[in-house]
Amino acid sequence: MNAVTKRKTTNLVMELGRRWALIFLLIELVFFSLFAQGFMSLRVFQMIFFFGITVFLLGTAELFVIITGGIDLSVGYVMGFASIISAKMISAFIQAGMQHLPALILGIVLTLIIGLLPGLINGLLISRLRVPPFIATFSMLGITHGVAELLILDGAAKNMPHLANLIGNGYFLYWAPGPGLSLFIRPEIPRGGFILELIPNIVILAFIVIGILAYVLKRTVFGQHTYAIGGNVDAAIRSGINVGRHKVKIYMLSSFLASLSGVIYVLMYVTGKGDAGASSLLDAIAAVVIGGASLYGGKGTVWRTILGALIIAVLETGLRVMGIPTFDKYIIVGVILISAVLIDKVFPEKTYTDNKE
Amino acid sequence: MTHTISETLQGNRKLAFIARNWAAFFLLGFLILFSFTGKGFLSITNFQNVGHLAVIAILMASAETFVIITSGIDLSVGFVMGFASVTAGKIIQVLYAAGEGLSPGISIGIGIVIVLILSLIPGLVSGVLIARYKVPPFIATMGMWGITNGIALKICKGFPVATLPDALTRIGNGYLIYFKPGEGLSFFGLPPGVGNESIREYIRLIPNSFIFVALVLLVLWHLLRNTTFGQHTYAIGGNEEAAVRAGIDVKRHLIKIYVLSSFIAGLAGIFNIFQTGIGNFTPFGAMYELFAVAAVVIGGASLMGGKGRIFGSVIGVFLIAFLENGLLISGVVPFYRFIAVGLLLIIAVVIDQLFPDLL
Repeated sequence: MNAVTKRKTTNLVMELGRRWALIFLLIELVFFSLFAQGFMSLRVFQMIFFFGITVFLLGTAELFVIITGGIDLSVGYVMGFASIISAKMISAFIQAGMQHLPALILGIVLTLIIGLLPGLINGLLISRLRVPPFIATFSMLGITHGVAELLILDGAAKNMPHLANLIGNGYFLYWAPGPGLSLFIRPEIPRGGFILELIPNIVILAFIVIGILAYVLKRTVFGQHTYAIGGNVDAAIRSGINVGRHKVKIYMLSSFLASLSGVIYVLMYVTGKGDAGASSLLDAIAAVVIGGASLYGGKGTVWRTILGALIIAVLETGLRVMGIPTFDKYIIVGVILISAVLIDKVFPEKTYTDNKE
Repeated sequence: MTHTISETLQGNRKLAFIARNWAAFFLLGFLILFSFTGKGFLSITNFQNVGHLAVIAILMASAETFVIITSGIDLSVGFVMGFASVTAGKIIQVLYAAGEGLSPGISIGIGIVIVLILSLIPGLVSGVLIARYKVPPFIATMGMWGITNGIALKICKGFPVATLPDALTRIGNGYLIYFKPGEGLSFFGLPPGVGNESIREYIRLIPNSFIFVALVLLVLWHLLRNTTFGQHTYAIGGNEEAAVRAGIDVKRHLIKIYVLSSFIAGLAGIFNIFQTGIGNFTPFGAMYELFAVAAVVIGGASLMGGKGRIFGSVIGVFLIAFLENGLLISGVVPFYRFIAVGLLLIIAVVIDQLFPDLL
């Protein structure tokens, strides 16, 4: 073999190695299609996205924080906190005689605004008082957890509108033989009749937000600063970036995304739950790391984080379709998490960031 | 501003002493406060209960102390504990076979030995990953968290492991001294011929768990304070480069640290099975590792490494434990404890930031 072809093969191996997450996802899909009866269906694929939303959103939140070299342990409980306050507010508004739709919208908007607060406090603690992110966000985890549980001491929210359920569990597109195509509104069909349901509403909502953030991270000054801070804080300060202020924004964004997934949780289940996102923290951080980000900061993209989250979501759904208890999921995610770091060391990125560490 | 406070304190040794041991003074303050607000707070029984229930947190926090001094973190301790508890439960259950197998003593003994050896493995794996392959401690131990949790759940199929010998709880929840005024005392159990129903007439002093945890703490304290191992631990956390130059085998030492942490978590699992009489997996919301880190930081350690004391971490655990217990006895809704721990942590770090050079 001459030198040129040899270099070509190593280049190819490197390219494939860098895309190991995508290859792994494909292997997963092939494996489950072969061994899980009924995996290859439109319904299951929509379910993967539908139930993956929490990890998509929390993973994206965690990505921004991790790129700056921080960590946010509070996202899971901020999500639960947001789900409870939005459910409480919506039901209170309806109690007060508001129409369902305005009550729903007002409740959601207010929740998203209140949801900025934990992030603001985190950010201020981290940038102004120099509290390590691990400690500040763990404190916030405790505080949001406690407040959420106190709020539902008198029971869960009652009189939730059916509308929430229609939005949360509805689809963008319906098609049935008789009425034909319809958007958002499920046509009346005879029991047991055929109906095609395409793309859940909340998946669209989540991916609009994620798409915007992918753009923000990749193409805007905000995104450039985020990478700059994670790559080299000193250089970022010297080049005139207000690092403290930027970090506050990052933690607020993280907290906002967590509240958004809390709101979506309410739309899906029509109730709030304090520990709604508690078990998703591991998955969210794992998704970011599998997606090639480094905990030392400066690396990572939104789409690769979504890829990481999809690996976990497909795994979970596939195991469930096969009827294997999800205990195995924890083991496999743990192994993939560690392997991800090792594989990324073997196939480093081409950019300047591999000179770091 | 910060600077001046710090400088003033440097000159004033009494104030410096208070700032360094603020957690201990806080604890004292809580004890006094709750003695007034909570009926039955200030009693030997309550203090013994708090201590007994805090044993697992104490073990976790001392494991975490070693790791944090080296500027690492071990997120797997909680689930290694669950893994140890479930595995020990399963082994004892099989050997004892509800009274038809081996004698309780032998089956418990074998279970403990095997599990303590097994509990070295998670630490060995994360240690090697961290030291040799430069995987960030957060990721390596988070991976072990998932793996040990999954294995524990597979072993017990999602249910606690029951039908274990009664001897477990008899030892685990027993006391050193049983005493009834006028009738003298007996050790490690009621006097012969006295039924279990009259146990309330006896004053019980010093739970066995105290003796166990005191022994463990004594060993760990000695290890950290008086041995080369301890010196190297501080050296690595203080300045890893310098530690390497000084001829310390940093990689080897880090592996030892994570093995030690995992071993202590295994001990906690063993203790757990003695305390509850069943093999328990660790539920998701338990967050043992996070509370352990909290206790260590409240106790004066820094996540940047190089700082921390076993004594401080134990104070940190008691601060959280008495806060929870005191709030509960005073009739405060239990959920305030999460908020309280969160606030305490922030106070701890802010105090640490205000007086950086006191240690």
